Amino acid sequence: MDIRGVAIEDTFAEAFTMRVARVVITARSPRWVREAALKMTGFATSVIGCKCEAGIECELAPDETPDGRPGVSVLLLTMSKDDLPVRLIERIGQTVLTCPTTACFDGLPEAPDRIGVGSALRLFGDGFQGSKMVGGRRFWRIPVMEGEFLVEEKFGLQKGIGGGNFLILATSADAALAAAEAAVDAMAGLPGVILPFPGGVVRSGSKVGSRRTKGMIASTNDAYCPTLRAVTATALPDSVNSVLEIVLDGVDVPAISRAMRAGIDAACRDGVVGITAGNYGGKLGPHHFHLRQIMGADGPAR
Amino acid sequence: MSGETTLTLRRPLTQRVDASTVAWDALRGLDVAAIEAQEVWVEGSGRARLGDLFEVTAVPGERVRLVGDLARIDGIGAGLAGGMLVLEGDAGSYVGLGMRGGSIEIKGRAGPQAGGALPGAKRGMTGGEIVVRGSAGPGAGTGLRRGLIAVQGDAAEGAGRAMLAGTIVVFGAVGAEPGLWSKRGSVVALGAVTPPTTYRYACTYRPSYLPVTLGYLKRRYGCPVTPDHLSGLYRRYSGDLAELGAGEILVWIP
Repeated sequence: MDIRGVAIEDTFAEAFTMRVARVVITARSPRWVREAALKMTGFATSVIGCKCEAGIECELAPDETPDGRPGVSVLLLTMSKDDLPVRLIERIGQTVLTCPTTACFDGLPEAPDRIGVGSALRLFGDGFQGSKMVGGRRFWRIPVMEGEFLVEEKFGLQKGIGGGNFLILATSADAALAAAEAAVDAMAGLPGVILPFPGGVVRSGSKVGSRRTKGMIASTNDAYCPTLRAVTATALPDSVNSVLEIVLDGVDVPAISRAMRAGIDAACRDGVVGITAGNYGGKLGPHHFHLRQIMGADGPAR
Repeated sequence: MSGETTLTLRRPLTQRVDASTVAWDALRGLDVAAIEAQEVWVEGSGRARLGDLFEVTAVPGERVRLVGDLARIDGIGAGLAGGMLVLEGDAGSYVGLGMRGGSIEIKGRAGPQAGGALPGAKRGMTGGEIVVRGSAGPGAGTGLRRGLIAVQGDAAEGAGRAMLAGTIVVFGAVGAEPGLWSKRGSVVALGAVTPPTTYRYACTYRPSYLPVTLGYLKRRYGCPVTPDHLSGLYRRYSGDLAELGAGEILVWIP
């Protein structure tokens, strides 16, 4: 199978079940929404080193937010159910509570699993905090030097998916980067998905474990490193001189499939030789996103 | 369930009626006979059936509608815990007495003690929402423990007296001594108000929860919230300092 001359390899991306929360951040202006969201999603590329993965899902217009102000939707994922409240409380507490003019709301109000976030952060109010019930949802008002920080008491939690991916194999680093940028632009704002790495792109895809260092969880994916073509069991076609990876996390299989389709289609352009994906032989992750199935038909990934 | 139960007043009332004994919370699930059999107390003539006063049609659902001039009927919606009660006219005293949930919309005026408490009671309404399209009589939200009361017209004296929590939003003028003896809770004045002397000015700011509350009132009930209400500045007065002092009166600056 090829798209505009770019080969789509007959393989699949292998992804994992994670736990996800959706956080809606609002502020007086888009500037402060962006500041809070960038801080909250900073250093959250991979659970391997960051304990969680997070990213901006989409921007929200004032008529889409609970307080009628500009906002963004952030997705934050962890591997375990127990870890999610810890990460949410520390990140909202350190990056949103501290940011001028922000408020913070649950973006999964229908999720049956609820975790206390505002109910923990309220303690910062040192007894001066107060709560309000509006439409069956409880909010905490925490007095701060600037005025007042509003945070919803409970946030929804649900199963999500982490580790959707595809690799762009290109004839040059410039071509790989241009294709990756086009893919990210095509996926920007699609509902239910985040790209947790810098600018949505990973240059250092990893393999499980290490040849040399005991106990290391991951090390460089030497089969896809062009500089190692001559000294390792390479997976690269002869004309490939650079590879970039797009990693996707999301709320469910359809969301990730939809985003992968848009991203791969945009990445199929001049200078790109092929599109492939990372997996572990199907033995580790329960979600398999078959590239040709995603690009060729509407059939679901399994 | 999308059905509606309607009670239409058979003839104008000449005496006051105490309807606080009606099982208002159960009404939306009852058939016509059971609704008509509900007892009320008529001033001067004693016990009567709801069916003596109202013509009833019942299709089980979340909504119960009362049609007619209800200004002489007290205690409508007492003990309500869910569903929607819509009053197509004025309401008497103590509408929503002891209310715990659900909503009451009064398309006319509300008499004294809307969402209030009986004399000597420690708390009034403990949940739910009351929206008064007209004005509200004295003591609206007295002893309010939780819940939301919105008055689109004026609120007479004593609104939010001895409040424990919850929110009262008044779009018109607020009468004397709002929030007197309150421990917590908010009186939001979008019209003229003079806070009691036992309240102290704190600051002028944008209360973070108000856009959520006002936006909700606009979306759900069509209350006349303007963009200036949502983004405007408010003067915050803390009180009642003769009590706990954790309450507030928020005064919108036009």
